[in-house]
Amino acid sequence: MSLFTTFYFSRFIGCRIYDTREVILGKILDVFVHLPGHRPLNDEPFRPKVSGLLVKSNRKTRHVKFTGLQVVKFGNNYKVQCDSLTDMPKEAFTEDILLKETILDKQIVDINGRKLVRVNDIRMVAISDGAFAIAVDVGVEGLLQRIGVLKPIRTLVGLFNARVPSKFILWDDIEAVDYSRFSIKLSKSQSKIQTLHPSDLADIIEDLGKASKTSVFSSLDEEKAADVLEELEENEQIHIIESLSVEKAADVLEKMPANEAADIIDRLEDDKAEQLLQEMNNTVSDEVRELLEYPDTSVGSIMTTNMLSFNQNQTTAEVLLHIRQHKPEIEQLYNIFVVDKDEHLIAMVSLRDLLISNPEDCLEDIMDKRPVFVHDYDKLDSLAEIVSKYNLLALPVTDADNKLEGMVVIDDIVEDLVGERRTR
Amino acid sequence: MFIAILGPGIITGSVDNDAGGITTYSIAGAMYGYKLIWTLIPSFIVLLVIQEMNARMGIVTGKGLADLIRERAGVKITLIIFMGLLISGIGNTTTEFAGVAGSLEVFGVSKYISVIIAAVLVWLLVVKANYKIAERIFLVFSASLLTYVVSAILGKPQWGEIGKSIIHPGMQLDNSSLTIVLGIIGTTIAPWMQFYMQSSVIEKGIKIKHYNYVLVDIVVGCIATVVVAFFIMVACASTLHQNGIVINEAKDAAMALRPLAGVFASQVFAFGLFIASVFSATILPLATAFFVCEAFGFEAGIDKKWEDAPEFYVLYTGILIISAGIILLPNAPLIAISLWTQVINAFLLPVVLVCMILLINNKKIMGAYTNKPIINVIGWATVAILIVLSSMLILSSMIK
Repeated sequence: MSLFTTFYFSRFIGCRIYDTREVILGKILDVFVHLPGHRPLNDEPFRPKVSGLLVKSNRKTRHVKFTGLQVVKFGNNYKVQCDSLTDMPKEAFTEDILLKETILDKQIVDINGRKLVRVNDIRMVAISDGAFAIAVDVGVEGLLQRIGVLKPIRTLVGLFNARVPSKFILWDDIEAVDYSRFSIKLSKSQSKIQTLHPSDLADIIEDLGKASKTSVFSSLDEEKAADVLEELEENEQIHIIESLSVEKAADVLEKMPANEAADIIDRLEDDKAEQLLQEMNNTVSDEVRELLEYPDTSVGSIMTTNMLSFNQNQTTAEVLLHIRQHKPEIEQLYNIFVVDKDEHLIAMVSLRDLLISNPEDCLEDIMDKRPVFVHDYDKLDSLAEIVSKYNLLALPVTDADNKLEGMVVIDDIVEDLVGERRTR
Repeated sequence: MFIAILGPGIITGSVDNDAGGITTYSIAGAMYGYKLIWTLIPSFIVLLVIQEMNARMGIVTGKGLADLIRERAGVKITLIIFMGLLISGIGNTTTEFAGVAGSLEVFGVSKYISVIIAAVLVWLLVVKANYKIAERIFLVFSASLLTYVVSAILGKPQWGEIGKSIIHPGMQLDNSSLTIVLGIIGTTIAPWMQFYMQSSVIEKGIKIKHYNYVLVDIVVGCIATVVVAFFIMVACASTLHQNGIVINEAKDAAMALRPLAGVFASQVFAFGLFIASVFSATILPLATAFFVCEAFGFEAGIDKKWEDAPEFYVLYTGILIISAGIILLPNAPLIAISLWTQVINAFLLPVVLVCMILLINNKKIMGAYTNKPIINVIGWATVAILIVLSSMLILSSMIK
């Protein structure tokens, strides 16, 4: 009885499993592993434990638990033995996933690499406590080993003093996403994915198959989902919105800046768009409807209506207090705007001016009384030049009467420019 | 809406009539007259069925065929299929360059100049420039394939005899006719196109409710393929076969038309061949490299930089270099290469088809959209026929 044996999953399945008296109990088809419902405590390594097997005996497929599993290696072949196998009902494995169905040869998320990788093999260990999955092999070495040509290629490559690239990722740093065939509640197991940046998540979602796309997106909380939705490509955005329920879609859209939501809704079919607008809460949907009215070539179509505006008599201290209380996004802080009681744009205060002034200073004393601005129906082309000439990060947008309608931020202008360059 | 969906079926249909196709159909017409035209009918049906399956798989799963095969069939089978795909990909690209060489020879340009320039331009277009725009330009130019219709009619075909040959196919199954028949099948239903079709459908983001539009797109594409094939065969049958002219090179087909149908027919034929060859030379090696990488988990795509997807770019460049290289060998038998690469397609086809049928009948993958029984019947029958024909060809070649 060895202390521990490490073995490869790809060679494990398909092996016959014997009991202690050398009687063949069946052929191993797949392996159940248990995924815990919560994130492990920091620094505690996470190794899913093998909870059962899928075994074929006498032409029947059995779900079994085992005791005393042993794996003995003879060169490239394994001999698998156990003390006993007990049949279990399918329901016993509802918290578990099958490794071959879900992981082997499938795409999974490499959390550190922030992308999808394909699993070539899984490294496992058998100890007295049981068997565990340790890491996945996503490198060329694993591929060559599955094909059976690793040794000769290694020798060949060695002649040139090079090595076959190998890449293992520990289970802590991956997240499986191909759950389409399991009824596991994804929110539990997707906790690692939530830590990824929305842009990376968007890239990953774009590369996934249809079933995984929706399940990964649905498992995100609404704030995260809104951020990811913003980063997705246009076609993907539409797909995702259409695959969600109206309630959930409305919830996610509400969490996005109104102009982003408007862009997506604009591209949906009219009846779907109307459905969503009705479902969304009124303040948001009214804003969105307003934004939808702007033609695509106008400034109004990329402006955001989330901006900070104050009265000229307020002090710097009051403004900063307001900011600390409401915690706006960084985009809203580049410039704050000063308006009169009828919402006309009077002046602008940059973030810098705000920070260097004394708390008792009135906005009136530090503001720029001749702010650069554009009208909502102005053409988009003019924007990039203005922003570049005046070194602005955010540009106020007014209507014909000079009432402050919204602002355009540098990020959106760049996006527009990049988009244009692509189609030229 | 239809315009938005338009594309996969029609592009695939157009690329289908590449240099390999034109060569094979020309030889079929020149050697057998109207006798092999009937093979286009079952080819059309099978092509339609297969493309529909690929489109359906793409729409329902959102995954490419390479992905599905890798996930379900494991590494060893994936290796066999994709090695086959790579070989047939190199073969087909070689044929495209043969087409470039042959067509420009009609205008008096030496193959050493035309092939090298074409290869470099194609490489630049794909790697450095925006090939999507090129794809659209080629799509428009692929309408130039209709020049074959012009060539055919200028050759004064005998419609009565054509009709008779379709209804009463009279042909012996010997080594050479087997080769041509397999070539016709292989060029009409090229395996790499299945992967391409499925990926295009996914890229366009087509949903199941647009299924009917997709079907129309596919049918139009298949009709385009078969109609052009028909007219090529007729054109060569009416002129070359009647006069016992043998084709040694594609340009022979073009040049031979000259005394019989006027100088015009020959240039038109050559232009069509050139466009078709360059179009396919742009898409084919790209698709092959892409799918091989996808299957083995390497990053791929021209939107990625060289450092991010080295295997893909190396593979792509390698395919171009090897293919162009083969054509540049002095005395390379261009026609034989062109024909045999299509036969290789036909050998690979049943393997890919079996995988597809198994995948598409799997409820876990396709849910409610598995095959209707009639599709399965056609699918398996095709596999069976292909295996029989391929074995017969191999056996009869060995007996010689």
